[in-house]
Amino acid sequence: MSEQNDPSSAEAGAEQPSHGLGLLVGLPLICAAILGGWTLWRQTAELDDIESRQLAWGTILDLTREHIVLTLVTTAIVLVTAVPLGILLTRPAFRRLSTPVVGFANAGQAAPVIGIIVLLAMWIGFGFRAAVISLGLYAFLPVLRNTIVGLQQVDPTLVEAARGMGMSGFDVLRRVELPLAIPIIMAGVRTALVLVVGTASFATFINAGGLGALIVTGITLFRNSVLISGALIIAVLALLIDWAGRVFERIATPKGLS
Amino acid sequence: MWEFVSERWQDIAYRAFQHTSLVVQALVLATVIAIAVALLVTRVKALEPVANAISAIGLTIPSFALLGLLLPLVGIGTLPSVLLVTFYATLPILRNAVVGLMGVSPLLMESAQGMGMSAFGRFLRVQLPLAWPVIMAGLRTSAQMSMGVAAIAAYALGPGLGQYIFTGLTQIGGQNAVPYAVVGTVGIIILALLLDAILLLVSRLTTSKGIRA
Amino acid sequence: MSTASTEAAEPRDARDTGEARSADRSVSGAEIVFDDVTKTYPGQTAPAVDSLSLTIPAGQVVMFVGPSGCGKTTSLKMINRLHEPTSGTITIDGEDIRSKDETELRRHIGYVIQGGSLFPHMSVRDNIALVPRLLGWDKKRVASRVDELLDLVGLSPERYRDRYPRELSGGQQQRVGVARGLAADPPVLLMDEPFGAVDPITRQRLQDELMSIQEELQKTIVCVTHDIDEAIKLGDRILILQEGANIAQYDTPANILAAPANSFVEDFVGSDSSLKQLALMRVSELDLHDAVTARVGDDGAEAARAARSARQGGVIVLDDKRRPAAWVGLREAERVGTLRASSRDLEVVDHRATLNDALDSMLAASHGGVLVTGRRDEFLGVLEFDTVTEHIQTLTREARTGESDEYAITPSEDELQDSSVEDDTGSGSKHGSEDDADPSRGEQA
Repeated sequence: MSEQNDPSSAEAGAEQPSHGLGLLVGLPLICAAILGGWTLWRQTAELDDIESRQLAWGTILDLTREHIVLTLVTTAIVLVTAVPLGILLTRPAFRRLSTPVVGFANAGQAAPVIGIIVLLAMWIGFGFRAAVISLGLYAFLPVLRNTIVGLQQVDPTLVEAARGMGMSGFDVLRRVELPLAIPIIMAGVRTALVLVVGTASFATFINAGGLGALIVTGITLFRNSVLISGALIIAVLALLIDWAGRVFERIATPKGLS
Repeated sequence: MWEFVSERWQDIAYRAFQHTSLVVQALVLATVIAIAVALLVTRVKALEPVANAISAIGLTIPSFALLGLLLPLVGIGTLPSVLLVTFYATLPILRNAVVGLMGVSPLLMESAQGMGMSAFGRFLRVQLPLAWPVIMAGLRTSAQMSMGVAAIAAYALGPGLGQYIFTGLTQIGGQNAVPYAVVGTVGIIILALLLDAILLLVSRLTTSKGIRA
Repeated sequence: MSTASTEAAEPRDARDTGEARSADRSVSGAEIVFDDVTKTYPGQTAPAVDSLSLTIPAGQVVMFVGPSGCGKTTSLKMINRLHEPTSGTITIDGEDIRSKDETELRRHIGYVIQGGSLFPHMSVRDNIALVPRLLGWDKKRVASRVDELLDLVGLSPERYRDRYPRELSGGQQQRVGVARGLAADPPVLLMDEPFGAVDPITRQRLQDELMSIQEELQKTIVCVTHDIDEAIKLGDRILILQEGANIAQYDTPANILAAPANSFVEDFVGSDSSLKQLALMRVSELDLHDAVTARVGDDGAEAARAARSARQGGVIVLDDKRRPAAWVGLREAERVGTLRASSRDLEVVDHRATLNDALDSMLAASHGGVLVTGRRDEFLGVLEFDTVTEHIQTLTREARTGESDEYAITPSEDELQDSSVEDDTGSGSKHGSEDDADPSRGEQA
């Protein structure tokens, strides 16, 4: 385990859906304020050679784009693997496997993400692929766990009512179970997004790009301006991704449930 | 691999100790801070959304970014590690402590008051014991997370096993690169699982039999 | 109860006198037959249902009652194949239920469970429309069916069709649940503790409404309950089960009350069976008093004059659908000028309500009587307290004889495997007892 934001709200075992409008309105405001302040500084500060090269608008936009692509690709892959597995593990035939699988995934979370990234890069080579796989491994659990918990918490009498009304197993899943599990699954996806956008900062260690480069350069070349710029932009990006996740969560939640 | 471990056994053990010591001290600090803040939140209800927002935003900020922000302020070494680990350790405990303390039935608190218990007595003998399992669950989450955050802090020359991972990374291509990274990673996994087992045991022993799950 | 015993083979609606009725009312229900049905759950030695045989006549309401774990729920769920019998056959309208695909079968059997079990993410409309859509009805037909059903269960379509379940009260949710069960006009309706989750007053109202609906639709309704009073009130016949779904008695409520087959039934029904007879008598069996009625918006003074000349103490104000809207005294009617709907709840009972319920309502009313409504809440007349007491006196003077029909099953004391009753199973009327023990609940069959 490493990094921010373990999804387990401990007792529930799954990240709960977010409520309230506070963060939904507040987050973009905070981000806008930080970005605005930084842009003002960037336009007015006197930068030396190294700084102006590192903080060139083109460079920063490139790094940001890499960072976002890495985040979205990884999350998308996690989504299309973890959600189906979660669904499978809640079907009667495989239900008994869900406890050991989640237990194993939980224990796997004890691995420090930086170690996983480095080891995986040593094994399959530096670059984008290693980064996606290691970040994906790391973000897999919250989505899997929330999918399972989300489906398990669907009231069994509703499932029985659906079957009693003549829905096929697939119908019940598609029209009753998944819509009712969506808020919790989406909370897991948001958690995964936030985990990935944060850990993507380490991708630079294995030449997979991203904004982490600014922090590393800042530290190795003793340029606090670059270091702080990198840290601020990563933080703002993470907050915005979290915000986007919250917005998406709200949109995806069926009307009768919100 | 085996040779690598046996040759550096003492160094590995020392770093494991450092790593654990950093995490445990940060956890103690974090628990005290979290419970104090949570207690304040239960007294001043208006603070609850503020505390929740801080938990949520704090956990969203990547640790590497926060480390980057800390370094210009406090320099490299042990201090940024302690601050970083404590910061992230506090948030899950705070979140659970708020939930746990708020979750104690007001009826119970009122009957404790009616029996003549002082405010401090009510907190110590009624509210805290009832909220304890939830707080401990938050503590276990924090412990797992702290193990990993401590590894990242090693990038700024913090203590512990994380340095083995970064040494492996810089020596890449060399014959010891892989053993360094493996020992660092696996060592942290083992420490994290051990600490979790210990905390689970502590949690069971310190939770009243009446409310044990 | 001489009428009841001589006409025991008929659905009790046949005795109905509250409203002009046609004799050729069509029965849309289908007959259900259990033939030697046994269900043993995997890993259990004792069967949950042990060779159950019985016939549920078309168009009747049959109540399954019995203590927890007696197999009543299992028996019910075997009809729509949520549980599969280990052996034996069940037929609906002569057709073996296993001859059809199970989802196909279920789409033609209504299913109503406790609390309505509405899908919270679907609007009222979508909940009701579910089965019709599964059956491929076209949009127009579905839409008009939804409105028709909402009307039937007494919810205004315009107001409720776009609401979500959480925006409804418990009783309203249950009404929608009934509407959903009836959506595809199935011949058979299965109900599992349908009114277990609502408060007693709402429950009584829902029961009355169900009886009105049944009077109109004549479905075959199989209903599981743990509440013997509910069974007596709703059932055309009652199946009392013992552990292993052994039949303790299967007969009309009147016969069961008059002649319990054995000590188990006696204990289950309770000793106050003469008081329980009140629950067998319907408001519709009594003469209602005519009353002077007026429409909302009519002139109060004029209505009061009409009432005076008819020697009435009050005026009943009806809305445009002839539903009672207010019950005003003469002075008040003169004073207000234009008559309006009352803001207070009116003391109204359905004509299918039992005398039990009617007496309850009278105690709460301030008029010494209670308004009686018929189909779709239309006003029928006023039931006065004196009428009720006279009726009771007449009935108690009459002798009771129990005479059973071809469907009745009455095992003698020694036929029952174990007629001794455990302490807690005797009081069948207690509410809120645990669910039927059902180890496979929630599992896919």
